[in-house]
Amino acid sequence: MLTLLRDLRRLRRTVSLPAPGRGRSLAVRHVDAGSCNGCEHELTLLASPYYDLQRFGLGVVASPRHADVLLVTGPVTTRMREPLLTAHAAMPEPRLVAALGDCALGCGVLGSPGELLGAVDTLLSVDLRIPGCPPTPETIATALLELVDRAHAG
Amino acid sequence: MTVHAALSYREAIQAALADGFRFGGLHAAEGGAVVRTVLVGPEGTVRVESVRATGDSVPTIVDLVPAAGWDEREAHDLYGVGFDGHEPLRPLVEHDPTLSHWTVHVKGEDAYQVAVGPIHAGVIESGHFRIHVVGDRILHLDARLFYKHRGLERAAEGSSLEHGAAYVGRACAACAVANRLAYAHACEDTRGLDATPELARARTILLELERTWSHLNDIAAVCAGVGLAAGNTHFAALTERARRLNAVVGGHRFLFGAVEVGGSSLDLDADAVRRAREELGRIRGEASRGWRELQFNASFQDRLPDVGVLRPEEVDRLGTVGPAARAAGVARDVRADSPRLDYPGFQPRTPERPDGDVRARLEQRALELGQSFDVLGRLLDGPVRPALATAARSGSAIGVGLVESARGATLCVVEREGDRLARVRLRTGSYANWPSVAFAAADNLLPDFPLINKSFELCYACADR
Repeated sequence: MLTLLRDLRRLRRTVSLPAPGRGRSLAVRHVDAGSCNGCEHELTLLASPYYDLQRFGLGVVASPRHADVLLVTGPVTTRMREPLLTAHAAMPEPRLVAALGDCALGCGVLGSPGELLGAVDTLLSVDLRIPGCPPTPETIATALLELVDRAHAG
Repeated sequence: MTVHAALSYREAIQAALADGFRFGGLHAAEGGAVVRTVLVGPEGTVRVESVRATGDSVPTIVDLVPAAGWDEREAHDLYGVGFDGHEPLRPLVEHDPTLSHWTVHVKGEDAYQVAVGPIHAGVIESGHFRIHVVGDRILHLDARLFYKHRGLERAAEGSSLEHGAAYVGRACAACAVANRLAYAHACEDTRGLDATPELARARTILLELERTWSHLNDIAAVCAGVGLAAGNTHFAALTERARRLNAVVGGHRFLFGAVEVGGSSLDLDADAVRRAREELGRIRGEASRGWRELQFNASFQDRLPDVGVLRPEEVDRLGTVGPAARAAGVARDVRADSPRLDYPGFQPRTPERPDGDVRARLEQRALELGQSFDVLGRLLDGPVRPALATAARSGSAIGVGLVESARGATLCVVEREGDRLARVRLRTGSYANWPSVAFAAADNLLPDFPLINKSFELCYACADR
């Protein structure tokens, strides 16, 4: 197993992310509000050794109670409205909302009008927009790192 | 295709089953006036048996084909069709707030329920599980999905056949190629078009590229389910490489838009093909190395056997498809009967010990990865040029496409009026297999459910549409 781990460090060099800062962190709670699973699959790879976002203090946490940012994907289906608002209400202040992917931004959404509520910002005020269908892990990583900077500057 | 009266409909289904046909899918059409059942024969031949609703209902076939359970419940929820004899007809797509309407009643000393989701603890799609337990032992699991129901099929109605692919593709990123391919085949079926060898080759390359990243992802997922970080990161890194290769070959990391109706615009010169083949060779080597390491990790291997067991008779009863069925020793694979694709002499593989447990499902992914690398190695032997489907026979109003996705048989039915889409139904491998996940979880420990779920690694988006 150790032979596998030894090789992983060099993979990061293929991605142009800044060097990790010190003493900063941002806890992310992800909510899938009706995505096609593309944003989730890309988000999952942020933990892969190419990006390894935990070294920047960015981690996906299991509960909205522990979260600084609510990261929302999908065009917000009618059935996900309540769970989404419940998760948001459960977060401690100050709380941020990030809309991940074109569907969450209300762009190019497909589906029946009666099943969809529309972009995340029709329900919650959005602090960070990450466009793409789906955004690549590198795009997501860069956007979230900017949010870390912003959160610590403000 | 015949439209039956109530009685002869059931007889037609029974006759097809007696002829060795299996259930492919069931859907309501013409706004709920008609219900159609698709049956798939031993060599991939297809029969469509339709029945006209009388007084808003048709006879159920769920006693003949238990696998039709979800389809009938969906047709009831979305099109208001009743199914005489399907008792109780529980809501599936509709989210009935009354718990007793959609869960199985479980009672007894110490029995209680654990409610999980729709929002889960990690980066996971939304869906709700109602787990009935005594202590840590799972008695029964009721899954309530369709939180992500976007009404894609209804929204696609009235669009052109070409544009309809966008709706089908949006159903699921992880199965974008398989779903669009099943749709393209169904559309071409209605137009009497066949694939040329060049078109079959281009599409098979895309389908196997999708399976490659998907199976790498699934192995990583099982490692994550056990908590083996080294295995997870190794296979997650390979998943990333496979997606980067997709972007180079097909212009998108999930190959969105790469499969089109009526032809293929995939255009790769000899150099691009050679580079893709070389990168696949490197990914294969790294995957084999990682797989070997997993074999020698005793604490990992100890967690896998006898967990989430699915037996062959249950595979038949529940209509399980894909790697989950093959891991139980049921060697069915649509690729063996795919004249529209490039799989000459394809033989489905099953594990040496087809125990239908988490271990067997994991090994099945590794076996199939090897097959995908073999197929891609054979097909990536020279330039790939744009190709068109060719007219082979007269068209029809209803067409069927059947494709083996990374999760299993994916069926698409297209009904057209002129050049417009009157109805499209997508029944994915994930949709077929969700009842099997619930079944396999029973009698296991509650903390093993995430691992069992990972070993199937089904899409919620594919089922919810």
